[in-house]
Amino acid sequence: MANIRIFAYTDRLSVRPGDTLTVMASADATDTVHAELVRLIHGDEHPDGPGCIEQSIASPINRDWPVHKQYVQKGNFLRVADPEDKLTVTGPVTLHAFILPTLPEAGRQMLLGRWSVDGISGFGLGINPSGHLEFWVGDGNATDAVAAELKLIARIWYFVAASFDPATGSVTLYQEPVIGRYNSLLSKIVPYDHRSHVSETLRVRPVLSAESGFLIGAATERNPARGMFFSQCYSGKIDRCGVHGTKLDRAALDAIRDGGRPEAAKVLAYWDTAAGYTDRGIGDAVLDTGPFQLHAEGFNRPVRGQTGWNWTGRNDCFRLAPGEFGGIEFHADALIDCRWEPTLTLAIPPDLKSGVYAVKLTAEDGSRTAEEYAPFFVRAATPKAPVCLLVPTASYLAYANMQAAFDAALQQAITASTPILQDIDIEVYKSNVEFGLSTYDLHDDGAGVCYSSYRRPIVNMRPKYRIPGIGATWQFPADLSIVGWLEAMKYDYEVITDEDLHREGVAALKPYRAVITGTHNEYNSEPMMDATEDYLAGGGRLLYLGANGYYWCVGFRDDDPSVMEVRKLEAGSRAWQARPGEHYLASTGERSGLWRHRGRPPQKLVGVGFTSEGMDHSVPYRRMPDSYHRSVSWIFAGVEGEVFGASGLAEGGAAGIEIDRYELALGTPPHARILASSEPFTDNYPLVQEEIYFMTPGLGGTQHPWVRADLVYFTTPQGGAVFSTGSIAWGSALPIGDFNNPVSRLTKNVLDGFIRPGKLPGTDYSLGDEYAV
Amino acid sequence: MPPDMPQEALADTQAAPPATVAAPRPRAATLPIGRRRVLPSLRGHGGASWQRQRYPFTRRTPLLFATRYNPLTLAAERQLLDPRPVLWLVALAVLAVAPPLFGDNSFVAASTTFEMFAAINLVWMLQIGTAGIFSLASLATVGVGAYGTAALSVYAGFPWWAMWLVGPLFGLAFGVIITIPAVRLEGFYYALLTVGIAELCRVYVIQSQPLGAANNGLFGADGFVPDSMRERPGLVLGFYAGFALMLGGLLLYRVVNGQRLGRLLRAAPERHEAFAEALGINYRAARIRVFLISSAGLGGIGGFYATLLHGASPSLFTIDQLLLLLAMIVIGGIGTAEGAVVGTLIVVLLDKVFIGLGPIRLILIAGIMLGTVLFLRGGLFGIPAQYRAWRGMKRSERRAARSDREGETMPEEAIEIADKQAIVVKRFDARLRAELRRLISDALIEEHRTSAGKRRSDTLERVLAYFRSAAVTDKYAILAVKPFAEYRIVALSGRRGVPPRVVDDQVFATPEAARHGVFCKRVQDLMDS
Repeated sequence: MANIRIFAYTDRLSVRPGDTLTVMASADATDTVHAELVRLIHGDEHPDGPGCIEQSIASPINRDWPVHKQYVQKGNFLRVADPEDKLTVTGPVTLHAFILPTLPEAGRQMLLGRWSVDGISGFGLGINPSGHLEFWVGDGNATDAVAAELKLIARIWYFVAASFDPATGSVTLYQEPVIGRYNSLLSKIVPYDHRSHVSETLRVRPVLSAESGFLIGAATERNPARGMFFSQCYSGKIDRCGVHGTKLDRAALDAIRDGGRPEAAKVLAYWDTAAGYTDRGIGDAVLDTGPFQLHAEGFNRPVRGQTGWNWTGRNDCFRLAPGEFGGIEFHADALIDCRWEPTLTLAIPPDLKSGVYAVKLTAEDGSRTAEEYAPFFVRAATPKAPVCLLVPTASYLAYANMQAAFDAALQQAITASTPILQDIDIEVYKSNVEFGLSTYDLHDDGAGVCYSSYRRPIVNMRPKYRIPGIGATWQFPADLSIVGWLEAMKYDYEVITDEDLHREGVAALKPYRAVITGTHNEYNSEPMMDATEDYLAGGGRLLYLGANGYYWCVGFRDDDPSVMEVRKLEAGSRAWQARPGEHYLASTGERSGLWRHRGRPPQKLVGVGFTSEGMDHSVPYRRMPDSYHRSVSWIFAGVEGEVFGASGLAEGGAAGIEIDRYELALGTPPHARILASSEPFTDNYPLVQEEIYFMTPGLGGTQHPWVRADLVYFTTPQGGAVFSTGSIAWGSALPIGDFNNPVSRLTKNVLDGFIRPGKLPGTDYSLGDEYAV
Repeated sequence: MPPDMPQEALADTQAAPPATVAAPRPRAATLPIGRRRVLPSLRGHGGASWQRQRYPFTRRTPLLFATRYNPLTLAAERQLLDPRPVLWLVALAVLAVAPPLFGDNSFVAASTTFEMFAAINLVWMLQIGTAGIFSLASLATVGVGAYGTAALSVYAGFPWWAMWLVGPLFGLAFGVIITIPAVRLEGFYYALLTVGIAELCRVYVIQSQPLGAANNGLFGADGFVPDSMRERPGLVLGFYAGFALMLGGLLLYRVVNGQRLGRLLRAAPERHEAFAEALGINYRAARIRVFLISSAGLGGIGGFYATLLHGASPSLFTIDQLLLLLAMIVIGGIGTAEGAVVGTLIVVLLDKVFIGLGPIRLILIAGIMLGTVLFLRGGLFGIPAQYRAWRGMKRSERRAARSDREGETMPEEAIEIADKQAIVVKRFDARLRAELRRLISDALIEEHRTSAGKRRSDTLERVLAYFRSAAVTDKYAILAVKPFAEYRIVALSGRRGVPPRVVDDQVFATPEAARHGVFCKRVQDLMDS
């Protein structure tokens, strides 16, 4: 009997009472699943902690639901809206495009045309399995093709075309390199002769099936189980491309190759890939500037605004010279939305308390129970609680379905540990990463993944999940330790997500006396940064219970909050590096990369910023002399001794995993105090790369003084304050001893002080020792 | 070590105080690497237009050219992937012109015999090679066609062209009869049976009065060479008719073997029939169709035979003729058209042209046949593949003899590695591993076991840093079978879609124990390398 597998996701992550939440599920080997609404309290099963805690909530959805297997359409391509069948060409035709293939020998790939794979009908210009440019036709029974003389070389810009006359069957393929000084992997010093011009007379005449509309970068296919889907997806870039209603000759094609527009007469479509760019970003529509306006729409969000065939290297952003950034990047393994049919909907009850919830789906298969959680976050209808937990959903997206433990050679060196895999990791890897990749992974062609969304099952955003590289919880399940602590301490708290903060700005934080971050709020958009800054400037109080936060600059398109975009630039701990000229977010037009390199280091906001990471083991903190001043000593009430935090669910300490430090030169407020700092780390905690200008030995934790986690406190205008722990492991240290430990006590002191009405504790002690009696 | 290094220098290296790594052992001298191009190569078309022609009514281009980048120069070089069409054309042109032009009468007659036998062998090859039915009744089928048409001509007055037309019908009828046992019998037994049938036919025709028992053959049939023609033109006409017959045989072979039927059967080779059947290939029906088509072809050749010789003789059914035919096929190599034709050429040349040698020529034929069977795997036309395999084997042997334990890349290997950095990294890695091997001790292993969660010695961290940054393929990881209770060691595939494999049956209770288990495995791999 096959193992039952259930996968699910929700249409959104943040809901309010009164909203309707839709759950999409797919299951193998069962046709019913049992659903249950649960409130999530704790998600780390480490034996030193309280284990996984969830509360069942009575709900009409708590019953069996029918499910079926749902498929995932991966791959980038453009669908052309052609309601009047202008591209159902029966006469002479020329297809042309600028292309930069990245995986030319990865199997048959469509560039442009209408091709039905199972119907073997239509025509297409593409790349054949041996890596040659090919034009092929099919009449439903037989195919015929003409291929170029020489293989396409990966990461070289070409102008390619096929001119076909169905009356005579004659085809001419046109392949010319358009290598500039900047645009390709290789330059003109390499003695390749990329040119190929082949003419041949085909025996088969194309018959066009109704189903296969005109596509750029894919073909259509149908099978009995799945119905119609898209296959033969292309990996690489396509710049300006078009369809011409005559057989263009060599001279006419040479003119287009040299940058000219096709002569207007007989143009059926000409997609000016650089048209429609704005200062605030680029959408999915690729505009046809030909007579019929046959605009194309990107599927799974092809990457727009990339350097084009004519990039001259002078301008580094599509906003400066749109015409040189007409490259659209396609990846055959891209996925941003599973587009599954809904399985059930849940009306959020008006009285449902704000918190972390999940629709838990289970199915029995005799000996074992298959389960899946689709988590979501319920906000308060009207904020009433004093405490707000700001859930870092943008960072959850960044790590969604990360495969680095399987794919990245350096992973074990970064974590200084051997990854511990779970069944689900292997299941996902075995399925060829069916639910898409994280921004820590590479597409099959080696390009970094810059888009991640929540419209797909995210197997590492689940309670109980342990990230393979570290053997600890990470992001969502780690943040549940903060939720568990809030519950155990009986705080009245409410949750909001990064998405709410991004959309509503400071208004989302304003109602709360204190805001708690997650353990690793690494990815932030400009509105999120602004909102946090404004909240603190306006008297807000923030507990930053994590590290390596406020690090990457990300963007969301206004029309789709489910997709986050990041470009990893030339510094930072980065799983990949964006290519030259591709450093700006297509979603917003902003420069991506580290906030530090846009003039906003995390120190400027929360007093500490990323300084090192390592995962071999965590360490305790040791109190610093500044912590004894009465303005801050209240934070340590009831905390015995100099050293605290020597245990935790994340590698046995409160300081570790990733760590932040105080740095005046990077904007730590001058009056900030280091209350405590970590005990020494091993050399598996090296200083982060953005701090290093020259490489020298001795950058590890045993030798470099900057490798440390700082516990920092400072006040902000109008009675606000910031408490930063500088450590990801802090959150996982809270549950030790049934939430009764010095780290928990210290956090409670701060939070109690922050939410108590009136002035902050210690405010009156504004002088140092020189005035002491 | 460079081959030209003087002996003194060699001694120096060895006498030097122990370096961090032992000097590589001297190896067998390197032969010069790199060959000069013997045959000129064509260039790619570059920017010029290349008009590719096709055979009319097909999707095939006459010559299969491929242009590739030479990895050493990146020049686009055009190569003819399959020179056989050119060789065929040349060979057929020589055959069409040479015998009538230069041969005496007996040579022309022998050439005609060659053409007829070549046609027979081509069609027979369809049975043995394509259909995989080991029938030895090929000549018998020709005989049936010859006797049948000759009888119709003698007794019913059929003209020569009608004999050509009905020949295939006799062949087909005979084919139907002998294909029935093929359904039940296989291989050797079927071959024996067909020999028996051929013998039966022979005995019948030498005893049957109407089929010319008295005259040692049935003669008097119509011939396609007009009686009015003089001897030489008659022979030449016979020669060209035979040439046409052979072309017909080639065409039939090409059409059957190269098109749908032949492809179906190539997808169902011996011992893989069940797999092919599971794919929906009805290989039995395809085999029988090929057998019947070729039987009709053989019958047609029988009709031609009768019109060429004005009748038929029992020699068509004799074992010695059959064996001669078998010799042709075996020498040429089963399964190719060129094998059938060239095998025929050699045997006919010996048998008919060097007739002056006397019976010794039969021993010569037997000798060639024996040599072919003993030394060649696929007849004469299997020689290129056999040579390539032999050369590959020799190359591997030579490289194996020269490669050393440190795994240094040899010059002849290096030129085949696209990423030259891999060669450097391999050398670097070998040195580093040798250095790390000297750091491993029982104490170090014990330190690793007891130091989880603590600061480790620089020596241990040095070893660990190497282990951790290894490439992903076959790198160890840990599988949590039951979190916090049961862990096992796995090895990563490095390829998306391919899950890690479980390495052994050790089970660990804690992550620390499992990590130590991985460490021990890596140490073992290091020491073994």
